Amino acid sequence: MTTLHINGKKYQLELKGNETLLEVLRNNLGLTGTKTACEESECGTCTVNINGKSVLACITMAAALEGDRITTIEGLSNDDVLHPLQQAFLDKGAVQCGFCIPGFIMSAKALLDKNPEPTREEIDYALDGNLCRCAGYLKIIEAIEEAGKIMKEQQAQN
Amino acid sequence: MPTSTHKQNYVDPVGKSVPRIDGRGMVTGQTKYVFDVSFPNMLIGKMIRSPHPHAKIVSIDTSKADALPGVRSIVTAKDTYNIKFGSNEYFFPHTIDQMALEADKVRYVGDEIGAVAAVDEEAADEALRLIDIKYEILPHVVDVEEAMKPDAPMIHESLNNIAVILPVNFGNPERAMKEADYVREDKFYAPAAHQSAMEPHVCVGQWETFTDKVTLWSSSQAPFKCREALAKTLKMDLNDVRVIKLAVGGGFGGKLEMLPMDFAACMLSKKAGGLPVKICYDREEEFLASRRKHGMIYRIKTGVKKDGTIVAMTGEVIADGGAYCSYGPTVLAAAIMRIFMVYKIQHFRMSGYRVYTNTPVSGAMRGFGGVQAGFAIESHMDLLAKALDMDPVEFRLKNITSPNMTTVNKMVLTTNGLKECIEKATTAAEWSKKRGKQKNIKRGIGIGIAADVMGSKMYKSHESAGSIVKVEEDGSVYLFTGAADTGQGSNTALSQIAAHELGVSYSRIKCKSGDTEITPFDTGSFASRVTFISGNATIRAANDAKKQILNVVAEELKMNVDDLDIKAEEVINKTNGSVIMDFDKALELAYSFNYGRQIIGRGSYNPKTTPIDFRTAEGNVSGSYGFEAQIAEVEVDTDTGEVTLLEMWDAHDIGKAINPQSVEGQIEGSLAMGIGYTFLENLHFDKKGRPANGNFANYRLPRSMGIPKMNSILVETNDPEGPFGAKGMGEASLLPTSAAIANAIEDAVGIRMKELPITPDKILKALKDKELDKKSDEKNNS
Repeated sequence: MTTLHINGKKYQLELKGNETLLEVLRNNLGLTGTKTACEESECGTCTVNINGKSVLACITMAAALEGDRITTIEGLSNDDVLHPLQQAFLDKGAVQCGFCIPGFIMSAKALLDKNPEPTREEIDYALDGNLCRCAGYLKIIEAIEEAGKIMKEQQAQN
Repeated sequence: MPTSTHKQNYVDPVGKSVPRIDGRGMVTGQTKYVFDVSFPNMLIGKMIRSPHPHAKIVSIDTSKADALPGVRSIVTAKDTYNIKFGSNEYFFPHTIDQMALEADKVRYVGDEIGAVAAVDEEAADEALRLIDIKYEILPHVVDVEEAMKPDAPMIHESLNNIAVILPVNFGNPERAMKEADYVREDKFYAPAAHQSAMEPHVCVGQWETFTDKVTLWSSSQAPFKCREALAKTLKMDLNDVRVIKLAVGGGFGGKLEMLPMDFAACMLSKKAGGLPVKICYDREEEFLASRRKHGMIYRIKTGVKKDGTIVAMTGEVIADGGAYCSYGPTVLAAAIMRIFMVYKIQHFRMSGYRVYTNTPVSGAMRGFGGVQAGFAIESHMDLLAKALDMDPVEFRLKNITSPNMTTVNKMVLTTNGLKECIEKATTAAEWSKKRGKQKNIKRGIGIGIAADVMGSKMYKSHESAGSIVKVEEDGSVYLFTGAADTGQGSNTALSQIAAHELGVSYSRIKCKSGDTEITPFDTGSFASRVTFISGNATIRAANDAKKQILNVVAEELKMNVDDLDIKAEEVINKTNGSVIMDFDKALELAYSFNYGRQIIGRGSYNPKTTPIDFRTAEGNVSGSYGFEAQIAEVEVDTDTGEVTLLEMWDAHDIGKAINPQSVEGQIEGSLAMGIGYTFLENLHFDKKGRPANGNFANYRLPRSMGIPKMNSILVETNDPEGPFGAKGMGEASLLPTSAAIANAIEDAVGIRMKELPITPDKILKALKDKELDKKSDEKNNS
């Protein structure tokens, strides 16, 4: 029995041992917010956060993650209140087909949690593993900058 | 939402960047794509593909796979009705050339011979290994010019591999060319590329065994066209086939057609006793066996007067079609005939050849031939201007089309903001300050212009869209549209249109789209048609619903219905502007004991167009036309050959922006795709015709790094036929990008790139050649 900590919940799973985190999220747990467009670590669509770092779920073995803190797109919003990144992606028009968006938001979250005021270069570097075919990236970058500002304000308030 | 908040928060949604109607689901991961669909006892389907580029199928033995535990069904050509499908049935019936599953012959590596369904992926893969197919290998051909030779291996049963010859002739170009002061000819090459939507092709087929109906969930841009091809190949009535699209993770032309996988999922389900079967492509299959962009060789010759007036143009386009025709014939036509929307030309002759090769099938990709043509034509225009020592902007302004003109091939351009686009883009980019004046720092600026249709008759004889606007007793408004939102935001734009016309808040609207059994017919998302065509249908449906509500109010208050309107959530008296009652009150009345009238508005729109007659190349294909001008500024590193894109400007005549943020999103997305095609993307094939770079590690898409500042300039010409003045605009911004960049490179360092993609190697070689030319000139002069 493997215990995984995902979005603040504990899941006990019978694993064969060769399942990727992506397979476990999507097939075993029905957490289909995490997508994939290549399954070979090129598109970033399956990005999740593990202990605050952005990680590709398609090349991460689930059985090795016992004790780790896993966050997926489903773990970001708090009831009806969207995470500042989610809200900013909506407000800035960064979402088109939406398929790559969970991956972008998770890459951005790992960045902003450490550095809420990233430069364009730092954003580019954080997003270098993520592909988007619809939006042309600029509105995504604007959304991340906007979310960073709000996250910084929120941190200052707390 | 409590009804009162709709009124409190009311803003007229048209022209506002309201949030996407489906955006919340997308940012929270809740939105369901077909990729995410799963049913109890669902089987996994996989395609049986040819390993050979060209071979006869001698025998297929599935007995070992059939006996494998876990395998539930296998289908091959014997489970088909030997009915071919294709996409240009109306105009080019002879190009209907693909079988749902090939019976006698395979024509490219990846060609579909059959499919298996099993309880899991491992069993399906094992079954594929156990299927024994005997082939008789045939000679094959990969190169398009080789394939045109008379002794080339014959891919289909025809006279040669040229599936379509498309001559487009107007006036007398030979005679006109003699009157030219200067004539030049150029040859360009625009390679194959891939749509590469992030969601792969995926479908789930489920047969209802006792009613003999079938449902297909498909990641489709055109569910109704998919239904048509599916019903045809399954030999079923249209309404026994239901195609449902959910959220679609991008299409870009690649999801415009039924594929053999769609047929296979349905037939596998039938043979498995009605269990649902899901087939999902992996990324390699995407590159191998979906659809791709045509590689094109584009020869173009133009004669001009000293003052820059174009007097005649001739040329030839060779399009690498791959193994089957798909949308090829109309892509070829669009690659040739788009020019008439942009430039005034009277004497013209260009011949197009759409050629079979033993490679993956070329079909539609965003821009529909216009991207390849745009690179060639707009590069050529700069070369002409240069030879005449004219500014490329001045040269274009001399030759562009104007408002309210009919082109030589009978396209009726009504509103035409091309001149305004050029002026606005050049002003914003400070063209005259920069052009030719930054060579010392190896910087340059270049322009490209384009035009596009909004709709094109490609479905039988009409291309109508239908909408239903249903107003429920709780005040919620349901918009049913057959249009297929594939990420461009059409559900949002259509909802804005419905809310505006009905006179209510956007927050009331719920949108259901793209289910062939529930929503009205719509030909789908292609040709930048949805805002224009489905938008007009939606206005009519919302207006019909509004009239029904106002009729109740008029009856109750004994007023003339023509004096009433709904504006900003209130029923008003138009004659004096007074408020009669809230929208909610009017609805309460409509659903009251005395009236009990259901409010169901309907609308249908078919643009007043005439399809192209391909014998004469004449026809007014679109209800209106969109225009645009684009400018790129670059800096070239002459040591490394690297080109840095500094900034881009795109002025687009979009008629009226229903949602300015969505419009910008389309422009930015187009530019990024254009940047990818200019510098990175080149789908090429090995000796067997397989993609040599068919994965994301080797087929490089643009990433965030390297995307320049992009300036969208929205030019609003308020088209009288468009919904609230709007035009379609999903593709035009992609058309001139490669040329604008190539033209900027020439301005910076004086070299001309005639072949895409533009790589550092090619830049360095061209710089070296230029240096050698200069030296030999100096030698000759000394």
